[in-house]
Amino acid sequence: MDIDTITPEDFLASAKHFIEISDKIHDGWRIYEHKNEIHKSYIKKEAFITFKSQNELCLYKIEYVIFYNLSYGVPSFSFNVWNSPGTLLKLEEIRQMCFIQITKEEFYSVITQQEHPIFHRPYFIMHPCHTAQLLKEFKNKSRNIVVTFLGLISPLLRLNLSLEYGL
Amino acid sequence: MSLEQQQQVIQYVPFTSFVHPSFWHSLTDIKLNVDKLNESTKQIYGRFTYRDDIGTVFEVDGTSFNKVPETEQMYYNVTGTIMNKNTIEDFKNIDKAALLNSIGEIIWPNIKRKTWISNPNSLLSFIILSFADLKKFYYYYWFAFPCPSQPTVYLIDKSQPISTVFSNKQLEELSVGFKSLDIEQKCFFAITKEGESIYVKPMSKILDPNKPTQNAIDIDVVFAFIDPSNGPNPGWPLRLFIAALLDHCPSLSGTDVTIIGIRSSGSGTLNNSNVYTIAIPQNLQKVDSSGWVGWERNDKGNFGPKLANMSASMDPIKLADSSSDLNIKLMKWRLVPDIDVEVMKHTKCLLLGAGTLGCQVARDLLAWGFRHITFIDNGKVSYSNPTRQVLFNHRDCLDGGRKKAEAAAQNLKLILPTVNSKAIVAHIPMPGHPVGESLLEETVTNLKLIIEAIAEHDVIFLLLDTREARWLPTLVAAHHGKIVINAALGFDSYLVMRHGVGLRCMESAVSVNSTYIPGGLLGCYFCNDVTAPGNSLKDRTLDQQCTVTRPGVAAIAGALAVEVLVALLQHPLRVEAPALYNFNGDEDIASELQGVLGPIPHSIRGFLHSYTSVTPTCAKFKQCIACSDVVINKYREKGTEFLLKVFNSGKYLEEVTGLSELQLAAEMTDILTFSDEDQDQE
Repeated sequence: MDIDTITPEDFLASAKHFIEISDKIHDGWRIYEHKNEIHKSYIKKEAFITFKSQNELCLYKIEYVIFYNLSYGVPSFSFNVWNSPGTLLKLEEIRQMCFIQITKEEFYSVITQQEHPIFHRPYFIMHPCHTAQLLKEFKNKSRNIVVTFLGLISPLLRLNLSLEYGL
Repeated sequence: MSLEQQQQVIQYVPFTSFVHPSFWHSLTDIKLNVDKLNESTKQIYGRFTYRDDIGTVFEVDGTSFNKVPETEQMYYNVTGTIMNKNTIEDFKNIDKAALLNSIGEIIWPNIKRKTWISNPNSLLSFIILSFADLKKFYYYYWFAFPCPSQPTVYLIDKSQPISTVFSNKQLEELSVGFKSLDIEQKCFFAITKEGESIYVKPMSKILDPNKPTQNAIDIDVVFAFIDPSNGPNPGWPLRLFIAALLDHCPSLSGTDVTIIGIRSSGSGTLNNSNVYTIAIPQNLQKVDSSGWVGWERNDKGNFGPKLANMSASMDPIKLADSSSDLNIKLMKWRLVPDIDVEVMKHTKCLLLGAGTLGCQVARDLLAWGFRHITFIDNGKVSYSNPTRQVLFNHRDCLDGGRKKAEAAAQNLKLILPTVNSKAIVAHIPMPGHPVGESLLEETVTNLKLIIEAIAEHDVIFLLLDTREARWLPTLVAAHHGKIVINAALGFDSYLVMRHGVGLRCMESAVSVNSTYIPGGLLGCYFCNDVTAPGNSLKDRTLDQQCTVTRPGVAAIAGALAVEVLVALLQHPLRVEAPALYNFNGDEDIASELQGVLGPIPHSIRGFLHSYTSVTPTCAKFKQCIACSDVVINKYREKGTEFLLKVFNSGKYLEEVTGLSELQLAAEMTDILTFSDEDQDQE
């Protein structure tokens, strides 16, 4: 078996386990299972965030989606941020409201806007080749691949991962 | 009521609408595929949360149009109406106050009929008035949350935490009781106290819908509502609750009423709920006679509509443009940080010839992010063209065939709608092809078109099928100092080269030992031996005007032509970017001789037969028939008169350049590059 990738079944099992913990701690993640094509199953969380723009505190909604990337055989992370009329924020706006200090080049080399393979609408997607590299390190030590994956990327985004997931 | 108490008119915190992008996707879908021109109103769902960490946000999303709403923990679904207008005028002109009142006239009789007691959620409703501009993907919208403007009641002191009236044990009982309520009973309910215990009860257990009014209410009852507010003031739903309650229990006038605003923490506890003590005045104004309010304020704080500009994420044309842009930017972000992505967008390319090479070059330009592309061609698309000329299809050949320049320009827009592509249908006059009386006027017009086009563009691609046709554009482009990229094909060989510019022959004393030649001093197509290499000659057909090239040759040459241009544009010296000279391939190339994308050759000659290519460099030829100082000067002096002389006799150029040995006529008829056309060409 190729040790760098995981199967859709692995992904779904990890995702279900992840949702169990989320439900227990009211973290708001939901699972959307696709019965016929399990690789189209995904988990999603929506949350409000506030961000100060031009000295005004603005309310935004952020949606996180973790889905299975069929070509790379890894979990993929995608997200969108929008304001109250529903207009999506641009990549540069997202980098500025980021999350962590990161240069434009580094941020853009990891996150790009593209058509979402499941929703067919524009989303910001973390490039899966980085994911494969990262997960390779943790593959055999990880108890839950989704938790490991989120733990690795959460510093990049304002996504607080409760310690409960690791316990 | 004691006068020492602080009393203020109660301030309800209005809802703030928050629209999920998928709401606009669903609305668009319904408008285009179901409603079309119908202006019907539609029942939809919206929701708000009573979580204490979010605020008075009222949300709609793509599922709002579903028959059955999706449920989510700590959210409450509200049934509302969307009125999507067909025109912006209808949207603007509708009487907003009358619209709210007409909704009120539906809600109020329901309150009078007491249906709210068993269905308390019928008190809550919302309206969206909207207009969707589906050409621009602009959505104008205005939310309203209808409430009667009366009665006016007063908040005594400030609201208090729930712990001031309930013990921890009672809070626990409240939480359990609240969870076990039916979902539609959760918005407004009652709490009764029996001894130390409290019980959560639906409204219908306390109020009797069969009685027109009720006077005696058990003093141990407090009412509760789910409170979207997370500040000291109560949320909007309380306003309706009070109106309905006072209508059913008029005897509450002149008393103080305690109402609990249920607020949930993220983990589901109700400990952050609020207690409001409300003073009801003696003389209440009737709801019936007062108007209804509830239009949402926009971002400027005015009562007015909001605008959702969704073009960036919904307009397919903008999506295509930004996505293809992103592809080029990725190159910069990931691999070539010094690349200038803007220069391609602004560089205007003129393609002389819209045949096999022209189509290929245009597609590669598009891929590199060029957005200004003009074709000059006089031909029509014939049945043999589409298989090799990648911008054309069968339909372009029908009815005698479309003009190639026009078909190419329009088909480019089918690939990327935002490209600025143009067509100029003109024949390029050639030396040694005499212009008769009858053609004189047309030739002068064509000359003007071509010369103006060259002057207006930044880059001139020579992608023509004959050698003679390249003479005029080579001369005019050299005169204007434009970048010229030239591509020519043999059967299994190709030539791609860039030209030098302007009056530079006198400074062109390039040492034979020099390691480079400055870009401006490089030779043109006519300075150099252009005999197509290899064994192409023996494979010529009897008709030398037709295309006999291996199909891959045009694709390779077209791609290289564009890559050479891009490399040149990325070089700080642009057209003056040096070409390596006397380079044997062993030593390292000095950085000043390279651009961001590496060194830029003067010419590339490739041989498909052996799958090899070479990159020779040649300086300008002082007696060149196209780019030498003497020819350019003659053109500057005499203009069209000079050109016409050349067209009428190739010998004239020989005189001008003093090339007695140049057998021009022979050269000119020696077709070194083959036509893109097949036998069907005239």
